[in-house]
Amino acid sequence: MLIVVALLLVAASATAAVAQRDPARQALVLSFMGVLLAALFTVLQAPDVGLSQLAVGSALTPLLIMLSVRKVRRRGRAKKETE
Amino acid sequence: MNGWNLAAAVLLGAGGTAALWGVTTGPPARRVIAQNMTTSAVCPALLLLSQGYGRPAYVDLALLLALLGPVGTLVFARLLSGDLSDGRPGAWGLTWTAAGAGTVVVTALCVAVGPGRALVKLLVTGALLIGGNVIASRALAGGFRGVRGG
Repeated sequence: MLIVVALLLVAASATAAVAQRDPARQALVLSFMGVLLAALFTVLQAPDVGLSQLAVGSALTPLLIMLSVRKVRRRGRAKKETE
Repeated sequence: MNGWNLAAAVLLGAGGTAALWGVTTGPPARRVIAQNMTTSAVCPALLLLSQGYGRPAYVDLALLLALLGPVGTLVFARLLSGDLSDGRPGAWGLTWTAAGAGTVVVTALCVAVGPGRALVKLLVTGALLIGGNVIASRALAGGFRGVRGG
């Protein structure tokens, strides 16, 4: 039952992450999915994989995405001002 | 399946579904709150799982999540501050509910584990979880100058 719950939640959140249009909102759903994926790995008795997934998925991936989104937005704004 | 695993399944299912609903719908402010809530729902579930499987080493996962979850929320609070500034998200009811749930789980586990090193680890995890949750909520509500400056 635990495996079913975790699997369903991961599948639903992954679908939701793909369905979002805005990259910043996608990053939010992605960080949610990363945490749930770590829980799924724990349920499947692979806590070592879960540990690395937690480190990467909960903080690092969202940070990278949000930094690049901010850079792209700033560049777009600067280009609009010079035109 | 024993009671600990059942409680973990219920917590994971209910908290995960609520957070998923919150993180996929509504304005950005609500989404960040739901993302913050994920930590406070999954971390106690991981603690319950470690007790349910009878493997104290699994507490490491909950410890790491309690440490890194608020960091992720702070990343969003800092980098999304432009989107968050029009409606400052304040969800203190939810924050204290999550903190209360975490306290209940940690207390139950402390009673089950008994005195020893595992108890100290549990208490550290609980303190990190609740402290991180409150700090992240405060940052989202615009309580810190550095975050507000964005």
